[in-house]
Formats: sequence, structure tokens, C-alpha cells
Amino acid sequence: MKLSGKVWVLALIIFSGIGWVTADNTYFKPRPVKFITPLGWPKPVYDFSKNPLTEEGIALGRKLFYDGSLSRDGNFSCGSCHQQFGAFNTYDHNLSHGFNNSLTTRNAPGLFNLAWQKEFMWDGGINHLDLQPLAPITADNEMAMNIETVISNLRRDKEYRRMFRSAFGDETINYLRMGRALSQFMLQMVSSNSKYDKVKRGEASFILPEKLGYEIFQKKCTGCHTEPLFSDFSYRNTGMSTDRALNDLGRMKITGDSRDSLKFRVPSLRNVALTFPYGHDGRFFSLLNVFEHYRKNMVADKHTDSLLRGKLALSNYEIGQLTAFLYTLTDSSFVKDPRFAAPGNINDKPPVDIHQ
Amino acid sequence: MKIFCLIACFLFTCFITAKGEGQGVVSNGIPPAGKDSHNTSFHSNPGPTRKLVLIFHHMIGNKTLLLGETFTTATGDTIQVYKFKYYLSNFSVTDDKGKIIQLPPQYCLVDEADSASKTIVLNIPDITVTGVSWLLGVDSIKNVSGIQSGALDPLKGMFWTWNSGYVMAKLEGSATASKIAGQSFQYHIGGFRTPMNTLRTIRLSASLEKDVPAIHIIADINRWFTGKTNLSIAETPVCHGPGPLAVRIADNYSTMFSIQNTY
Repeated sequence: MKLSGKVWVLALIIFSGIGWVTADNTYFKPRPVKFITPLGWPKPVYDFSKNPLTEEGIALGRKLFYDGSLSRDGNFSCGSCHQQFGAFNTYDHNLSHGFNNSLTTRNAPGLFNLAWQKEFMWDGGINHLDLQPLAPITADNEMAMNIETVISNLRRDKEYRRMFRSAFGDETINYLRMGRALSQFMLQMVSSNSKYDKVKRGEASFILPEKLGYEIFQKKCTGCHTEPLFSDFSYRNTGMSTDRALNDLGRMKITGDSRDSLKFRVPSLRNVALTFPYGHDGRFFSLLNVFEHYRKNMVADKHTDSLLRGKLALSNYEIGQLTAFLYTLTDSSFVKDPRFAAPGNINDKPPVDIHQ
Repeated sequence: MKIFCLIACFLFTCFITAKGEGQGVVSNGIPPAGKDSHNTSFHSNPGPTRKLVLIFHHMIGNKTLLLGETFTTATGDTIQVYKFKYYLSNFSVTDDKGKIIQLPPQYCLVDEADSASKTIVLNIPDITVTGVSWLLGVDSIKNVSGIQSGALDPLKGMFWTWNSGYVMAKLEGSATASKIAGQSFQYHIGGFRTPMNTLRTIRLSASLEKDVPAIHIIADINRWFTGKTNLSIAETPVCHGPGPLAVRIADNYSTMFSIQNTY
């Protein structure tokens, strides 16, 4: 009786122990975040099944995105060249500033709707969002760091160890996880709340110049700047002459195919009013410069994209209406959304006018 | 006595807890590095398995490679090698009936500077091996599937950040014939898209006795310079991206392996 009593006590304790083990396994439970595809948009190309969004993963990615210690001298975070108020471009800069007073060789694009983008950089050289941060972190004229140092710095940091653990289940810190966390942060940066979007949803209506501009846009621009993302993500030669100092061959650098010489990715026109200067090297400081290029200054020869061989006829009137329309692509709630701002923001709730 | 039981149970539960936490990594969908290599399931040939060890020896002609030592190549260049590494993947073995058996996925970076990396353990069906084959490089699927870990971690310095893709093989050093800074030569060979594809399938046949546990394989650096066409360090000391030069060098080094069991 005494023995069986002991057995019972033992069994009870083991059972409660197992209960504790089960409870402990659920300790790692990141809170999933649903990715919402705006109505009428295509399916995202990013494979979320390999990297499901979680609040913890996004928070980690956000901290990494705004952490200057990822660069050699501590000055350059991702966010220093991708500024939220410029829809994450380098605001008002043709080229961006990098380590040791260097300049980049290309214009930093705005960052939004990256879940729909298959390839990155102006030449499409990078084929996966998770890999993209490697390029600016290691480039001598950007963050000028090596990945080994970044990873070992992160491993030494107690807060990062805690955040990697809550995002991925343990304290392992490697580039795989770092890249995935950065992707999680960038993936949820969806810009779909411009006046154009509101008009499409029936919540607003264009004023006359915007409406006329939209009609002109659909006739003359959607061949490349396809709705709703305002880019078909193809590579095209738009007749921009070569800058001798940069000697940028564009897509040809990646494919080695001379037919791809001077081809660059079609940029999205969302938030275009904020993302000046324009062009792969930021040579156009205003929308008017771009229109002048297309109707007058461009080199139109057999290498130029077939849609632009005869240049692009645009009257002054059309330029005015088009400009009015392009301004409707500005998403003011996106550039003010505190979820995308540097961590430490006290009011961490999305603005009330965000449409879900 | 009861207290003893309590302590024992506490220790026991702690042990289980520790195990449970470790499993959290796997359930998160990120397999620990190298886990693949312990997979013993064969799609085409279930049954008993055994190990086959590939041992790589790096040579220049008939001399064993030593990093930093001076050698003369078959083209007459005087060189010192500082880095020599290459990826192997998609292993298969051939049995005595000529049947090719694809082995489970395994990605290996063989690095002269890391002697352990020069021994690769394959899990194979229990057959008489008459040939072994692999892909020299990282297959195109892994080149377009985002970040990898383990041997394929970008940290290994075998990944191009500006033009996504793996460096399949790397040979760096200095040569008296080189006219660039530091008299160096740097061959980073990669590219997985046609027509710039540098992936090469290597097939070596071997008349091995049954149950031979290891195969000694020679990789001769001379073949980088002479394999199919002669490569002059003076003319082309650098290859840093996919292109015709990388393809030419890949054609050359695809002939560098041979089996030498008398080792």
C-alpha cells in the first residue's frame, strides 16, 4: 500500500511534468500577422509559406532596418537611405550617401509593395527579397560591412538574442533569419491607400484634371506602368544616354546579353510625387524633366524600346493633366504609418484613415 | 524518500523540457545545417544502406597543393594559391548493373583551407559501386530560392550579392605572370542560366571491390589552366561574374577530378 502510494505520487508528478513540458513547447508562439492583398490586386509573388509573417518577426525586421550598427561606421542603417517620408526612397537625392563620403551609382528606389516584385535592383540582379539586404550591407559605397561582422555583432547583443528567440524559437542568429526578418518588415509595407485607390474603391472621385490625366495615362503610359502596381517589372531601354562617369550598362551587366544594354527596370509610379529625382541614376529632378525626356530629349534608335521608338508625343496640355493624375498616386497614410517608422514610436497604432 | 522522488521527477521533467525546446527549431521549418546529409531514405532503392566516403586530394600536377607555396603550372606559370574551394551537390552512384541511383540532397563546400571539408560521407544503398557522380556547383533551384543555410550560407563567401547566385568554384592566388595589383589572379566561377551556365556534371567510373568504404579523388588545379583550352593568367587574371570566361574556365576545371585508389 505504501509502495503503491509512492508509485501514484510518482506517476502524478510525471504527468504534471508532462503537462508542463507541453505547456513549455507552446512557449514559442509568435503571433501570426495576416497579409492582406488589396482588392483587385494580383496574388503576391513572395512565398509566405516559407516565411510566415509574425508580429515578432516584423518587430525584429524593423529594428534591423533602422539599426545603424549594421554599417561599418554605425552611420548607415537601411532607413538612412530609405526614408519613410519619401516613400522609402532617398528623398531629394539623385544618388545616396554611403560609407566614407562615397556616393552610390544608382538612385535609391522607394520601397513598397515588395511582395509583388520578383527581382530587385534597377538591373534585376537580385532574385529574392530575402537576399536583397546583402548587397547594400556589403557594398563599399553603402554600408561597407561584411556579413560575418554583422552576424557576430548581433550574437553579442542580448536584446537581439531575445528578439531572434521570440521570432524564430531559439537564439540562433544567422543570415537566413536576419534576411527573413527584414523581409517580414518590408513585406507589410503595402501602399494601397492613395486617392487613386480610393477612387477605384468608390470612396472618392477624381476632379476633372485628374480624370482627364487618367484617360491620357491609360492611353500612353500603361504599356509599361501597368495598374494596379504601376509597373510591369520588365526591363526597357528608354533612350537615356550613358553617363560617362557611371558607364552603367543596366540589365546587360546581369545577363551578359548585348540586347539588354541600357535596359533598366520599369519603376512603379505609386508615390511618384515623393520619389523624385527620377531615373536609374536620378538624372531627372522633376516630373517635367521626365516628360521632356520622353517627348524631346530621348535617344530613339533601334536599341530603344519598341514602344518608344517614335518618342512619346505629349502636348503641354497632356503633361498638365498627367501631372494632376500622378499626384493622386501619393499615399499619405503610407508615409505616415507609425508601423513602418523607426522603433520607439510611442503611438504605435496605424492612422485611423488606413483602409484594411 | 518522497523528497528523493520529487527531485528525480524534477530532473526528469527538466530533461524532457530541454529536449522539447531543441525541437522548436525543427518545427519552425528551419532545419539545422547538415541535417539533410543524415537522410537515409532512397526514393528508388529502399533497403540496407552503408556509408561511402569521398576523400579529396588537391594537387598541382603530381605535387600536393599547399596554400601559399610556390608551384609551376602545366602552362609554365609560377603561382601561389591562397584560396581553393568549390561546391559539390546532387550526388549519385552507379551499381554493377549500370543503374544510376540518385542520393538524397546534400550540398558540400570543399575548401582547401578546411581539411574536414575534404572528406564527404555519402549514405548509399548497399551495392557494389562502379561509379560516382555529382554536380560541380550549386543547382539552379537553390540559386533562385532565397537564402539558404549550412554549406550554402552566404557567409561562406561563395555568393554574389549583386547578381544573385552562387560562386560554384573559386581559385585565388598570385602569379609572376599577372600584371594586376599584387600580381594576383582571382577566378570566381559562377552563373547558372544558359548560355552562361557553369554547372558541370562530373562522372567518374571506378572498378571497386564490394564494400570499399572510401574513394580517393584527386582534383588537379593544372586543369583550370589546360583542361580544354589554355588559360593564360597574364591575359585574363580575373573572372568575377557569369560570362563566356567563366564558362570557359568551368569547361576546363570540369576535367580536374580523377579517382586514385592506390592512395
